[in-house]
Amino acid sequence: MNDWHYEPAEDLEQSLVERLRRFPRQPDMLVYGTRVAAAALIRGWLKLYHRLEIVGREHIPAEGSFVLVANHASHLDVLCLLSALPFAKLHRAFPAAAQDYFFVSVPRTFLAAVVVNALPFNRQTNPRQSINLCRELLGNTGNILVIFPEGTRSVTGELGEFKPGLGLFLAGTSYPVVPCYLEGAHRAWPKGARFPRPRPVRLTIGPSRTYAELTAGKAAAIEISRDLEARVRSLRDAATPRP
Amino acid sequence: MTPSAAVHSPVFQFYAAVALGILAVAGTALSILRFGLKKNVEHAWKSFCGWLVMVPVLLGVIFLGRVPTIVFFTAIGIFGFKEFARATGLYSDWYMTGAVYLAMIATGCMMLPTDPKQDVPGWYGMFMAWPVFAIAGILLIPILRNRVQGQLQLIALSIVGFIYFGWMFGHLTFLANAKYAYAYLLYVLFAVELNDVAAFTFGKLFGRHPLRSNISPKKTWEGALGALAVSMALPWLLHFTFPHFVPRDLILAGLIVGIGGQLGDLAISVIKRDLGIKDMGAAIPGHGGILDRIDSLIYVAPLFFHMVRYFHDLY
Repeated sequence: MNDWHYEPAEDLEQSLVERLRRFPRQPDMLVYGTRVAAAALIRGWLKLYHRLEIVGREHIPAEGSFVLVANHASHLDVLCLLSALPFAKLHRAFPAAAQDYFFVSVPRTFLAAVVVNALPFNRQTNPRQSINLCRELLGNTGNILVIFPEGTRSVTGELGEFKPGLGLFLAGTSYPVVPCYLEGAHRAWPKGARFPRPRPVRLTIGPSRTYAELTAGKAAAIEISRDLEARVRSLRDAATPRP
Repeated sequence: MTPSAAVHSPVFQFYAAVALGILAVAGTALSILRFGLKKNVEHAWKSFCGWLVMVPVLLGVIFLGRVPTIVFFTAIGIFGFKEFARATGLYSDWYMTGAVYLAMIATGCMMLPTDPKQDVPGWYGMFMAWPVFAIAGILLIPILRNRVQGQLQLIALSIVGFIYFGWMFGHLTFLANAKYAYAYLLYVLFAVELNDVAAFTFGKLFGRHPLRSNISPKKTWEGALGALAVSMALPWLLHFTFPHFVPRDLILAGLIVGIGGQLGDLAISVIKRDLGIKDMGAAIPGHGGILDRIDSLIYVAPLFFHMVRYFHDLY
């Protein structure tokens, strides 16, 4: 008779907080349940309090791995982007979040890991490792990566320069990249404000493209980040006609 | 069990005073060792900090009354089973794990209403019959999913999980419905922990002969017998809390805790050794997982429950 094959969870002897800090995290029913409940509440709140309007939902790929890229001026941004995805994809969508900001204190770790399902991105000491993590994540079909290439929240609300990091794992791959532009999130909840204000927020989703024709490298990375920045900028200009 | 009953219950007051007194004494002693004499008591200190949270929570829940106690212990059982499921790998099958969760929640729900056959709290008949339905439900899952591969292992782990962590541990929860709820519940909780501490202390002091060398190398016959002696004496000291107990009951209560406590510990150790893990989890700092803390209770509670019910009825 063959022995039974047991597979103890990898994070068995870690405390709850340690389990939330590690990545990839082991699936947990309670975490998934809490995330679904939180997502339902957040969607309702965005709709009612911020009158969230989502334009261009049809540009989101129906299947396969893809990347959502957007401007970043508020904590609302990630919640709006996640709200544009169907509930079934909730646990497969991983917003890259600064490890040094979101995965240090216990309440923030809880919010980042449970509610947002964030990928801890090490932007200070080892960005290379985090970039590899993103690449592996996309390799698993059906995963969604949410990235703010500016790397931090804009203080003024203006679109900042896109950092080339995401180009390093996108060049030469066939993952669709979907540019998004968030309008109003900065006015609703700027950096430094304690609570969000009831201002309207609008999310414009643009057509996706892939960067399969480029060969991976620094030049391609810079080209990709410039291209995406231009795409997000044109979404902004289309959304808010300027004189 | 209600807050006002707890306030007027000498039994509850007695246990609360004893538990908080022991915490105070142990805390003072450890503080002197740690901060005064700069001794390395890190392990004992961590364990003490765990107790410092667990004892007030437990007393608080029991103080709040019957329903909070049932909800609390049912939740403890569910989180205990979750540790078992994660340790064995059963947890990766959410259908089976979910079915056991549901069966355990149902077990808790059965303890809440009034018995339909007689006017007493807790549906005892259904509670006793429930494993039949739970096992039938667990067996139904592979059939509904039309699956064969590896199912026997999943079925077996689910049934062990439900019976041991849901149903047998549920007997402790059901004691909240008894006429002498405070006396029974608090006796089992207190006696089992005292038995653990006594086994540890006697083992440390006089331990020579290993009890079960393959299962738990640190346990010794000396520790086990010392703990048995302490546990046999305890019911006589606590006789005033269950005045209806005759000497036969006091002896049985002591034997059940003294022997069952060790066996419960060893039973979980068998599972852990077979899985090749040290602790079942890390839920309670300084104590390991929930199962590492309640292992003895799972074994003792149903034996004590049926002893009491056979000789005195619960109500």
